[in-house]
Amino acid sequence: MKRKPSAKLGLIFLLCFGMLLSACSSGNNGSGSTTNGNAGNKEAETGNKPQEQVKISFMGHGSPQEKEIFMKLIKSYETKYPNVKVEYTSVPPAEYNQKLSTLVASGKTPDVFYVSGPQFYKFAEAGTIQNLQPFLETTELFQEDNVWKQALDRYRFDGTQLGQGDLYGLPKDVGPWAMAYNKTMFEEAGVELPPAEVGKWTWDNWLDAAKKLTKDDNGDGKIDIYGGANFTLEGAVWASGGDFIDYGTGKVTIDTPEFTNAMQWVADLRLKHNVTPSPEDEKALNAYSRFVAGKVGMFPMGPWDQPGFWDLPFEWDIAAWPVNPATGKAGTWVGSMGYSVSSKSKHAQEAFNLAAFLALDAEGQKQNYELGQAVPNLIDMAKGEFVAYDKAPANREVFLDIIEDYGHPPVEFASKDTKWIDTMWQEAGKVWDGRMTAADWAKEMQPKLQELYDKGNK
Amino acid sequence: MKKRKPSYIRKEYIWAYLFVAAPVLGFLIFGVAPLLYSAWLSFTSWDLVTPPEFVGFENYVEVFHDEKVYKSLYNTVFMMLGIPIGMVVALLLAIMMNRPLKGISYLRTIYYLPVISPIIAVSLLWQWILNQDFGLLNQTMWSWFGIEGPNWLGDASWIKPSMILMGVWGGVGGTMVLYLAGLQSISSTYYEAAEVDGANAFQKLWLITIPLLTNIHFFVIVMGVIGAFQSFSQIYVLAGDGGPEYSAATVVFYIFENAFKYFNMGYASAVAWVLGVIIFIVTLIQFRLSKKWVYND
Repeated sequence: MKRKPSAKLGLIFLLCFGMLLSACSSGNNGSGSTTNGNAGNKEAETGNKPQEQVKISFMGHGSPQEKEIFMKLIKSYETKYPNVKVEYTSVPPAEYNQKLSTLVASGKTPDVFYVSGPQFYKFAEAGTIQNLQPFLETTELFQEDNVWKQALDRYRFDGTQLGQGDLYGLPKDVGPWAMAYNKTMFEEAGVELPPAEVGKWTWDNWLDAAKKLTKDDNGDGKIDIYGGANFTLEGAVWASGGDFIDYGTGKVTIDTPEFTNAMQWVADLRLKHNVTPSPEDEKALNAYSRFVAGKVGMFPMGPWDQPGFWDLPFEWDIAAWPVNPATGKAGTWVGSMGYSVSSKSKHAQEAFNLAAFLALDAEGQKQNYELGQAVPNLIDMAKGEFVAYDKAPANREVFLDIIEDYGHPPVEFASKDTKWIDTMWQEAGKVWDGRMTAADWAKEMQPKLQELYDKGNK
Repeated sequence: MKKRKPSYIRKEYIWAYLFVAAPVLGFLIFGVAPLLYSAWLSFTSWDLVTPPEFVGFENYVEVFHDEKVYKSLYNTVFMMLGIPIGMVVALLLAIMMNRPLKGISYLRTIYYLPVISPIIAVSLLWQWILNQDFGLLNQTMWSWFGIEGPNWLGDASWIKPSMILMGVWGGVGGTMVLYLAGLQSISSTYYEAAEVDGANAFQKLWLITIPLLTNIHFFVIVMGVIGAFQSFSQIYVLAGDGGPEYSAATVVFYIFENAFKYFNMGYASAVAWVLGVIIFIVTLIQFRLSKKWVYND
């Protein structure tokens, strides 16, 4: 008597479970493109189509503008490979890594996706992404001599180390961080324009120009226009011959005199000379917005900033980074994102074709630079039509000089775990607002950062 | 042998179980299972990319040696200063709102509005209010009093007060409604008796109103402490890097960073479990202490 209801109850539970499970698995089918590809597979086997219909997924990030460009590029790819359909997802940049890692963990890695720096290292090591070398050997798109070595090397991995060995990714772009200046402001203040050629301008010249440009416009005692902003610590350190870390030995080197002198110099721009906004002012209004508003004379920009500056009411250009007078060297960083192919991709060839098309196809590269997104990956194009392109900045060769000559990969590029460098930036505030000298601060921070680096990267 | 129940009752039983089953199953699958999974993860090292690797108590040992755990815990506890401040403001508001004035319900609604607004939207609004150069707050202070306001969100010593300010503003409406309900449940006979004895307004407040609201104080404190331990969203929006010198990071923010920025899922789980235990203990203590001061009718 009692058994009957409980048996029914069991059935209900079972039903509920079944419903839940089927709900889960149908979710899988919907978002996982690989299963769709499978369906296409079967069709191709049973039917007698010459080429199987394939669906691959591609995930990236960027501004709405960048998304539009990619939609166009993907269309061209689909015309070139009519049997392939690309499912494109664009994620807000801040959430990108988070989303990607979760997808990887749940086994739904997109076929092609952006990856760079620490995450690239981790993925390459864990076998999440494919070795692209075998594919590269079969494509005529790839001429190694015609692609920036500085960009390609970021995506090499030999099984233990970055920078050498086979390619596990193709560069989406190279992003030389250049020094932009407000030409109109310089001319109005009668300040000599900064030269495009590296070595002709030193830190002293930069500071001098910045002093002349800094002013309080409305006489309220607050500075309204700053001569410079964001003089990057990285650039200053590299120009001084120092570095944040020696990846060869894994030693954090922020306590060297090269480093601390450079850091102090950057801090003094604000503390002593008052020619740059403080980090707090930066938070209130960042350098980019200040520059656009005509309230900053010089500040660093990336190629992707170009379209936003094309409509500015003043003239602008880019200059070479000033050199440290003591060493005669300049420094700045060159960013890069890469395209990688999931090692679980069921359509690796098509996925590779997409990555290669986006990274190397001349038409795509042309569209990309004309829209002001990047410096072309193809060297002949960069040195030819890109430099001659008639939109601002006029000194386009500065971008190329940085790539070839004095650009470094960003500091974190070869750290699998970036806690150490994030902590460094968090604590650097003590130097920026003058509570500690760079030297004291570095002495205190070095062991802490070393410990964090060792913990996460060894 | 028991008497067989009529079939319609049995049918109802089945329906009842069916309806109960959905939330129970939901809880088991989406509540208990992740909980157990994270308990297991806290003994592993997992970066989402390679399979989890068992490391024993290593994560827990590290938690107790991690400077940032203490720092974020300190920040979290510091920001609990907002709870008593919020209680005082809410009580005063509730007393003011507890009058049969015309249009009082509109006023109550206005004060309650922040409570139902999504916290992200509220945070974005405050980001604009607290901006050093262009923010509403500093602009107003400058033009009305000639005071140059601090850099609310960019200064290590001001960011916590900013968070408290925002938290009080956002939470006061909810607390006010609770107090209103409490106030209305206090029998007027107490006040009448006190008046006969010649008590003034302050004495009535201090000796009758506040003591008779102890069960509400208790509820507000317990929920406030738990909520404060779990605060995250406003930090994520207003201080995405943890604030200057990590001075705004809460424990949950630190957990988030470990999990989704550094992809140390195992370590993040360990910190989460430590936080869970802390919340449990603190709440337990509050309940124990409550016997000494909470008055129930």
